Amino acid sequence: MATTDRSDVLQGTLDMLILKTLEAAPLHGYAIAQSINRVSRALLQVPQGSLYPALHRLENKGLLASEWTETESGRDAKVYRLTKKGRARLEAEVADWRRISEAIALILRSSTA
Amino acid sequence: MNRWARVLNRDSFERQLDAELRFHVDEETDRLVADGVPRGEARRIAMATFGGIEPIKEATRDVHPMRWLDDLGRDLRYAGRSMRRHPAFTAAAILSLAIGVGANTAIFGVLNALLIRPLAVAAPRELAYIRRVGPAADRQRTSATTRFSYAALQRYGAAMHDAQGSLAAMSSVVRMQLVAGNHADEGAELILGQLVTGDWFTVLQVAPQAGRILTPIDDAAIGGQPVAVVSDAYWTRRFARDPSVIGSTLRVNGYPVTVVGVAAPQFDGFIVGDPVDVWLPTGLQQQVHYASNADITDADASKPWREQEGVAWLTPVVRVPSSLRGTATAAVDVAFRRDVEARAAKIANPEQRAFVLQTHAALGDGSRGLSSLREEFGSAVVVLMATVALVLLVACANLANLLMARGAARSREFAVRLSLGAQRGRLIRQLLTESLTLALIGGMASLLLAEAGSEALLRMASDGPAPLLLDVSFSWPLVAFAILVSIVTGVLFGLMPALRFSRADVNDAIKSGGRAVTASGGSAIGRLLVVAQVALSFALLVGALLFVRTLHNLLTIDPGFEPVHLVTARFDPRMAGYTAKTMAALRERLLDAARAIPGAHSAAVAMCGTLANCHSVSDIDVPGRQRGIGDDADVQEDFVNAAYFPALGMTFVAGRNFSESDTPQTARVAIVNEAMARHFYGDVNPIGRVFTEGQKFEIVGVVRDSRINGLRETPPRMAFYPYSQNPEVPMRNVYVRFTGDGRLAAQQLRSAVRQADRAIAVREVVTLAELEERSVARERLVSTLTGTFGLLAVAVSCLGLYAMVSYSIAGRTNEIGIRLALGASPASVRWLVLRETLALVAVGIAAGIATTIPTLRLVETLLYGLSASDPFTFACAIATLSTVAIIAGLGPAWRASRVDPSTALRID
Repeated sequence: MATTDRSDVLQGTLDMLILKTLEAAPLHGYAIAQSINRVSRALLQVPQGSLYPALHRLENKGLLASEWTETESGRDAKVYRLTKKGRARLEAEVADWRRISEAIALILRSSTA
Repeated sequence: MNRWARVLNRDSFERQLDAELRFHVDEETDRLVADGVPRGEARRIAMATFGGIEPIKEATRDVHPMRWLDDLGRDLRYAGRSMRRHPAFTAAAILSLAIGVGANTAIFGVLNALLIRPLAVAAPRELAYIRRVGPAADRQRTSATTRFSYAALQRYGAAMHDAQGSLAAMSSVVRMQLVAGNHADEGAELILGQLVTGDWFTVLQVAPQAGRILTPIDDAAIGGQPVAVVSDAYWTRRFARDPSVIGSTLRVNGYPVTVVGVAAPQFDGFIVGDPVDVWLPTGLQQQVHYASNADITDADASKPWREQEGVAWLTPVVRVPSSLRGTATAAVDVAFRRDVEARAAKIANPEQRAFVLQTHAALGDGSRGLSSLREEFGSAVVVLMATVALVLLVACANLANLLMARGAARSREFAVRLSLGAQRGRLIRQLLTESLTLALIGGMASLLLAEAGSEALLRMASDGPAPLLLDVSFSWPLVAFAILVSIVTGVLFGLMPALRFSRADVNDAIKSGGRAVTASGGSAIGRLLVVAQVALSFALLVGALLFVRTLHNLLTIDPGFEPVHLVTARFDPRMAGYTAKTMAALRERLLDAARAIPGAHSAAVAMCGTLANCHSVSDIDVPGRQRGIGDDADVQEDFVNAAYFPALGMTFVAGRNFSESDTPQTARVAIVNEAMARHFYGDVNPIGRVFTEGQKFEIVGVVRDSRINGLRETPPRMAFYPYSQNPEVPMRNVYVRFTGDGRLAAQQLRSAVRQADRAIAVREVVTLAELEERSVARERLVSTLTGTFGLLAVAVSCLGLYAMVSYSIAGRTNEIGIRLALGASPASVRWLVLRETLALVAVGIAAGIATTIPTLRLVETLLYGLSASDPFTFACAIATLSTVAIIAGLGPAWRASRVDPSTALRID
């Protein structure tokens, strides 16, 4: 199954994308998917539904919290928001990411030079 | 949401998950509709980009940690539904598992009590017993190698003390005649009593639950304190746990003793299978007429045994921390070697002296006590355990095959669920839940059968009217065993079908509507199961045949006496207070009363008797004969009257019987058997020859050999002495040869003994035919059970084979139709099917032979008159299984040959 064979790297990336997307404001699953798609369609080539196991996992870890609210279309939606713990994790992950990408950039620069 | 709340609120979780995912698809659909896509098309695209609701739900449920609990509940409900849907299969599975697991648990109950369970004392691993080892000891019965004199014990005790251990000792457990209270000897009962040294309970660390235990002061002097400790079981059985029994008087073999305490619950002594009712100090040996199981050399058995170096009658039990076991063994051996060297110095023959000098002392593991029962039945119980385990395996293979056949019908369901995104692991788990549920229900039901089964086994194995005295009552180890076996069984028969069906090829299964897997019976797994069944039942069949033929060999042996129409009463007059002086008068009264029984031809008496588990063995000297090493000079002895030989049907081959003219005043005479004459005199006529055993005996007659120690044991060398010259010797058996009804004769013999003296407690009245039967109790038990289970296994395998071939044929209807259409004869089709059956059986038998031959060598000691690789037995087993296979294959073969080619070809 595609949902279980996903590599850890991709899963980690997806987790970070979700946290980042929710940094500004709480969103429901569909809105998160749309937002990630807007940023980069290439990053989320797996089916859109794959988002939900990730959302539930993050909620179980206490990085996200959720509540049901009515949307403007009149439907009930489950809206996720970042918890304190989630915010801290996002900051740590972003910092990590920066460090790694700077290191990689440095390597690439020096090898092309 | 809180985990537990979620588990308890499973439906609400499912609803929310569903709503959340639907919301996503609905929003996407709306967006596409807004972009101008028609609604139907929009929904399709939305679903496709989402990736399928069900797999996503499955993956989402998976991230929740308490997922397995949900799954278990769901799987259990599913299993319940599936079991209700197939009531016949469910009933068959539960019943066969209940019987299979029940038989395993029942035999494990006996195995545990006999071979595994440690004694109910503190730190049983620290216990050991002292025994002799070396070539001389190896020739003795094991019980004889653990007997030492009281004086020797004192020396070994001192050595143990130096090695930081402690030592106590016990006599054998023997029947004693007991009367509660101080009144007359009415209502005497036979109990099991044991003489122990004063520190027995201290060394074993058994506390009293009422009163006190024995102390060294109780056992300080010969004839010392008349006290007794009773066991918890006896206290319960006889006194209904009345505490006032402490301080009351019991008359043990006529001698009054005071009960001072009750031993801790569960503790019933050191000898497994001989649970002690009453413990007495060793100082009372003379007072309670203890006179069994001793090795007596150069000693007077009628004087107190404790003061005589020549009477070996006590088994030393030591307690020493495991880390000091080596030091303790060395210390005891040093003390023991001093005794051996002193004895060897007196032996003139250098060869024999060297032989004796090889003897050492060793410590045997005492954590599970000692047991002659263990020696006799241990290997038989292991064989039975292996047998029922194999039968359970056959049943497992059969259930697996049935599940496969049933699963074939469900393969479409599995395929659909796999394609809908169910994970393979989930399907396997679900199928295993089903088989485990079946197995555990069967296992629970088996517990109802197990205890009754254990008790039946003990009755069957017993060599007396009472079952073997082993405690096999309900206990947690047994429940744990039953559950463990159930789980293993459930996994065994559930795993193969689960693996097979969770792999079902999705496309094939859906397209052909389940037909693709219909031939699963013919699959490699199905074949493997059938071959395994055949191999297992072959092994069981060979074992059963070997044991049945062993029993047959024993029953057709000539015992050397005439067991039919012969009844015997067994008792011990010494327990009723008879002494050397009063013995002769009692003997006359007994014989008169016995002769007066209507239908009695002759009445005889004997000290040891025939098939009575009594061995009195002495070394004799034959003038002019060089004595060899070991037991070369042994003869087994008995005291009888002249009527004994005609009554037992033992015929003379030379010389004369005892007569009235053999009196204490005339020369001592003896009658020997052929084995004795052959061993000591070779071809020389022994009549008129003399041998020495304490005094000189002249051989006046030779009788035929007879199997006095049981049908299995070759006739021992025997010497018989007449009561007319030894009137003081007790008699413990009365024999009556009669015509008419055996039961009536037994009743009359019992009342004849009562008529001679009502104070004598008769141990039992029994015919010689029954005693003969009991001497092969073990063989009968093993052959009956292995025979029954062997046939059961063959029957089950036959069903398995039939089912397998039938499925295989069903899947090949096409092929057979084509063959017939192309002109194959029905006979050739029948042969095709039969050949397949026979090929499976041949492979099974080959596998069976390969595994059976090395395994069966382990049971060689249980066989009699044939070897474990007996070719005739193997031929019988092969013939039986082949015949059964042909019968199983005939039905499907016949049906295959009647396949209508046009119908067969139209199906696709």
